[in-house]
Amino acid sequence: MNKEKGSVLRIEDLHKSFGDNHVLRGVSLEIKRGETKILIGPSGTGKSTLLTCINMLTPPDSGKIWLLNDEITASRKVNLLRQKIGFVFQDFSLFNHLTALGNVSIGLTKVKGMDRKKAREKAMEELKQVGLGDKASSYPAQLSGGQKQRVAIARALAMDPQLILFDEPTSALDPELIGEVLTVMKKLANQGMTMLVVSHEMGFARSVADEVIFMEGGIIVEQGPPAQLFSNPRVERTGEFLSRLSSLFGEEDEK
Amino acid sequence: MTFWQVVQHSWGPLMDGLQVTIQLTLLSIVFGLALGLILALGKVYGLKPIRWFCTAFIEIIRGTPLLVQIFIFYFGLPPYGIRLSPLEAAVLAFSVNSGAYQAEYLRGAIQSIPSGQMQAALSMGMTRWQGIISIIMPQALRRVIPPWTNEFIYLLKYTSLAYIIGTQELMAQARFVASRNYEYFHTYLFAALIYLVVVLVFSEMFSWLERRVKIPGFEYHK
Amino acid sequence: MLGLGLGLAVAIPISFLQIFAPQPFRLLASAYERVLRSIPLLVTLFLLFYGLPSFGIRLAPFTAAVIGVGLRSSAYQSQIFRGAILSISENQFRAALAMGMNKIKAFRHIVMPQALRLAIPPWTNELTIVLKDTSMAFALGVVELVRQGRYIIVATREPLLIYLTIAAIYLILTLLSNNTLGRLEKRLRIPGIGVEERAR
Repeated sequence: MNKEKGSVLRIEDLHKSFGDNHVLRGVSLEIKRGETKILIGPSGTGKSTLLTCINMLTPPDSGKIWLLNDEITASRKVNLLRQKIGFVFQDFSLFNHLTALGNVSIGLTKVKGMDRKKAREKAMEELKQVGLGDKASSYPAQLSGGQKQRVAIARALAMDPQLILFDEPTSALDPELIGEVLTVMKKLANQGMTMLVVSHEMGFARSVADEVIFMEGGIIVEQGPPAQLFSNPRVERTGEFLSRLSSLFGEEDEK
Repeated sequence: MTFWQVVQHSWGPLMDGLQVTIQLTLLSIVFGLALGLILALGKVYGLKPIRWFCTAFIEIIRGTPLLVQIFIFYFGLPPYGIRLSPLEAAVLAFSVNSGAYQAEYLRGAIQSIPSGQMQAALSMGMTRWQGIISIIMPQALRRVIPPWTNEFIYLLKYTSLAYIIGTQELMAQARFVASRNYEYFHTYLFAALIYLVVVLVFSEMFSWLERRVKIPGFEYHK
Repeated sequence: MLGLGLGLAVAIPISFLQIFAPQPFRLLASAYERVLRSIPLLVTLFLLFYGLPSFGIRLAPFTAAVIGVGLRSSAYQSQIFRGAILSISENQFRAALAMGMNKIKAFRHIVMPQALRLAIPPWTNELTIVLKDTSMAFALGVVELVRQGRYIIVATREPLLIYLTIAAIYLILTLLSNNTLGRLEKRLRIPGIGVEERAR
């Protein structure tokens, strides 16, 4: 793989097994600055594992990962590199004992060593960015799922990451709450944030993704711009999966 | 003597005893908490040998009677040159005993925090230790308050055992008074009432504390 | 063992009183439970053994110990059963009534089988506690393990060794009983009926 300029994340031949289960069988991909890539594929094909490998929550068996010029897989200070990678979880994983503001500022104070007052100001800005300035003093238990996920996004943003990974950010949400989260994500994409998103929201993929990646059985089967991949997949499996997906989710408007 | 006369006569010594009882309880619960924290963290986050050691320690202490533990510290050590005063031996025995129980409560609380919390902490660049201190423990400690309150009450009552090695706490004083006025029933009844009142007062105090530190999402049901 | 049995016998009616009886009985049962739980076992034992003779009731040390341990245990056990019964949701009961069962049948066939399973782990725990608390009967002069041990100590002058041996015997007893009941619990386990947190 060539070391092109502007590449934020580069993965080379990543492998990961859990016992006998060979989850990732040689995945390579690259994301450039400002790009948004969407990862789709049947469940159990290693999409989430791929994301957790990128920030080393799951250490890969072999293969290399670079963030900018640092090789994550060779780094001894993984926690320093993790600061540069935002992660948004499917189940939000907000810190339950902290308010929305506390959730967003704790990384700034504890990890980046920012002083409390500055951290609170910055956290407040991030909350406003996701439209939750008025919920700053609410605890997670007092927020709706959509609001929780927006706080989680603000928490990731506050660390000024180079890249944000989203692990099915809307799949735990009630349908009527999905929109507010996608809107925030769209806004981020338009502002030039680099993002890798596991999601089956086809409308979202079509409107913001630079590229859609179809994964199955631990490998990347096909990748390409959404328009091409959705309307004219080169690989048969991709087409099958997409048609199953759209029948499952009802009428996904085909342009 | 009527009950009230007994109360008047025994008020002084029993209150002295109560002071020692409370002192004994507070010292032991605090040392026990320190020990419990270490054991719990060791059991949950330690390397295998540490984990194994903590588990064995907790199970052994929880599996043997407190009375025997008190005897071991008081009668068992002197032949080896370690001579403890009754109060010291009692505090030591109660601390070790309570530490093992508190460790189990803490471990339960720590493990009840979803694993996603640690993942989220790590993913924002915290070290494991930072995650434990600023994310896991603040939540676990809130959850542990109700069982911890129970533990405190248990300990308060179990300190009555310390009279056996001659610690001058409430029970010892009651025995002493009763052996002089021969009013066994009334004296012990009075002692029982004192325990009852102290237990109720502490229970109320803790539920007040619990309400004070309560945050949404951490409500407990009785 | 006798203490536990007595405790069980007293505990079940008390927990029933607390749940199903009219208000005054309920209060009485709660007060009984609260008081016995708040007083150290040792004090209860002393009241029974040294205190009752004032009223002409003279108990043998062993009898006093059994009654004392039993009463205390009954307070804890009634709480265990009450907790277990109340944790079975109202809907289970209503569903049973909706099938045409009467209240007693609904309780007997629907609520009880679930509640008993839930009660096993805390009950095991209680057994362990009673087992260990029998050591307190020492204070009344019942010849149980600890006292036996002291006789031997006088003869051998090896206190630490003897006490450690006693501790080991208790440990084996508690582990054994935990193990047996743990197996019982597993045998009776039904998916979805959870296990309660162990308490002291």
